[in-house]
Amino acid sequence: MLYALMGLGLSLITGVLNIPNFAHGALFAVGAYFLVTAVNAVGNFWIGLLLAPLGVAVLGLVIEYAGVRRLYAAGHDYQLLFTFGLALILNELIIVIWGPVGISHLPPALLRGGVDLGFTFYPKYRLFVMVAAGLLVLATWLFLEKTRYGAIMRAGIENKEMVSLLGIDIHRLFTVAFAIGAFLAGIAGALTAPIRGLSPGMGVDMLGIAFVVVALGGLGNLLGAIAAGLLIGVAQAVVAAYWTEASTAVIFAVMALVLLIRPQGLFGIR
Amino acid sequence: MKRRDVLKAGAAAAGLGFPAIIRAQQKEVVILGLWDQTGAFADVGPLNDRGMRMALEERKMQILGRPVRYITRDGATQAGTSTRRAEEAIDGEGARFMIGPWSSGVALAVSEVAKRKKVLHFFSGGTEDISGSRCHRYSFQWAASPYTAAKTVVDNFMKANPKARRWHLLVADYAFGWSVEKYIKEVGKGHGIEFVGADRHPLGEREFSNYVQKAAANRPDVVAMINFGGDAVAGAREIFNFGLTPKIPLIMVWSSGVEELIQLSPEIRDNLWVGTNFYYTADTPVAKEFVKNYRERFKTPPGYAPSAAYSMTRLMLAGFDRAKSVEVPDVIKALEGIEVNDLLGRMRVDPATHQTLRPYFFLRCKPKKAMKEELDFADVVATGDTPLPKEYATCKDIGAF
Repeated sequence: MLYALMGLGLSLITGVLNIPNFAHGALFAVGAYFLVTAVNAVGNFWIGLLLAPLGVAVLGLVIEYAGVRRLYAAGHDYQLLFTFGLALILNELIIVIWGPVGISHLPPALLRGGVDLGFTFYPKYRLFVMVAAGLLVLATWLFLEKTRYGAIMRAGIENKEMVSLLGIDIHRLFTVAFAIGAFLAGIAGALTAPIRGLSPGMGVDMLGIAFVVVALGGLGNLLGAIAAGLLIGVAQAVVAAYWTEASTAVIFAVMALVLLIRPQGLFGIR
Repeated sequence: MKRRDVLKAGAAAAGLGFPAIIRAQQKEVVILGLWDQTGAFADVGPLNDRGMRMALEERKMQILGRPVRYITRDGATQAGTSTRRAEEAIDGEGARFMIGPWSSGVALAVSEVAKRKKVLHFFSGGTEDISGSRCHRYSFQWAASPYTAAKTVVDNFMKANPKARRWHLLVADYAFGWSVEKYIKEVGKGHGIEFVGADRHPLGEREFSNYVQKAAANRPDVVAMINFGGDAVAGAREIFNFGLTPKIPLIMVWSSGVEELIQLSPEIRDNLWVGTNFYYTADTPVAKEFVKNYRERFKTPPGYAPSAAYSMTRLMLAGFDRAKSVEVPDVIKALEGIEVNDLLGRMRVDPATHQTLRPYFFLRCKPKKAMKEELDFADVVATGDTPLPKEYATCKDIGAF
């Protein structure tokens, strides 16, 4: 579900803004670090979990407004270089602010330890993350499918010129899409922090997986991103149960296999 | 002055000046620190560098009246990159003495370079092959033998937990993990330990949930991890998240000590037992001075990585002193059988295998309420220095120069 969350955010940005956001992994890491800072400041995990992604969304607004917006006319090369450079800057800023040494952050007391599910033993916090990420994916999908602004956003993915000609402020749409994408990356990072801990390079692995999800689902296809995130998660879990060492390789094997059969991805049309 | 005169003057100056430069270059001793700045051990390389630099600075960057030029190269935690950069430093910079890298698998490849290029090489890590089946005259091993480590950990853990006989192992799948696993099982036989599971994971693994799920299903009395650095931290965190610790003990058989423990919160460290090549409360004059200086410079106490680099450099410099020479064969001969009272107390280099014989530490982490300060992680339960028994020794002939 976390993969779906990351893929959905990246797919939204890729679809609406038509740029490859290489800073998505760094935003994921910033979300985790914001969580720890917020929890240490307010002393409550749940408030921290709310504040952290909001902070990343604000950061996303600033990035889009001050940087990405100026490069829409410049072409893909510049956008790619900008987001790549931004990822490096954010990574270094994490080291400057929080230090190079990894940090562990505990789940809230209520969700510590594991539960015996009969057929297996599983941590309570991971079960919570599964449910929370599922609800977030559902909420995002409902927003995109059932609200007016969601419809505008989907229309923006299909045909930006037409949306603009209908009198809709396309730049604001871009900014909002980037902020929502950043929010989803931020909350994925915050939810992951107690599971994986925090380290400056934590976004790098997740960025790779997020791009796999986007490519597998079909570039810019939101439903595809959700389906691909689930497919990869399930494939990884199944393989890990029988052949643990191959659990990472299977992510890329699934992508290679699907793209060989459907180069446009599961739900892609381009 | 004509153009021809200027050229003649220039040629004369060059003729006079260059030999002086060459003489100066011949006098300096170039020592290479092959420390990873990228790859799986990117976080460890800078710490190694700190320790090595401190040992050289204590000598004011000089040995036997000659200036020491300390150069470093990033091996990227990869055999290909490490060997290529080591060769470049040897051929291009004139390095004749080399310490590092940190990964056992990579070090085995670098050791072959040392042999081929006839360069003195010091290494610290968990593979037994450097001072075992692939031993040769040019490479030395600083870390305790995996047997010494296994014996110290298993004997002392079982002394404290005699009923914990069902062990599940999580092992890093490379030279270091294989060596230590072999001896843990070997020593475990003597205690009647049943190994209910042993899963291997790749170096750089960060997702341990599947491994821990399997471990939990085996219902062990104890989980023992034979991995290092980020792998060990991720594993310990996941074992805690699954609720295994603190209910059952977790052993980190071969840990860096401080660098890993500092990344784990006190709750995760509860019922954590740690084997390590160095712990900063080591009660020797050299260790106390080193720890004091290190803390003044870097705030945190040193763990295994800086301490190993520091001690290897000091040991190598002691070899220079004893040899009264900066020639590689002389220093090697001087190091063979050398006995020093240094960082870990009495330390001796076995001339037959180039294995450093020294104590290994076994710690028990303190509960949060017993910690006197934030960095007061553990008590030293015991130290052990049982050397590898002859029947296991695979270095039959250290060879010639």
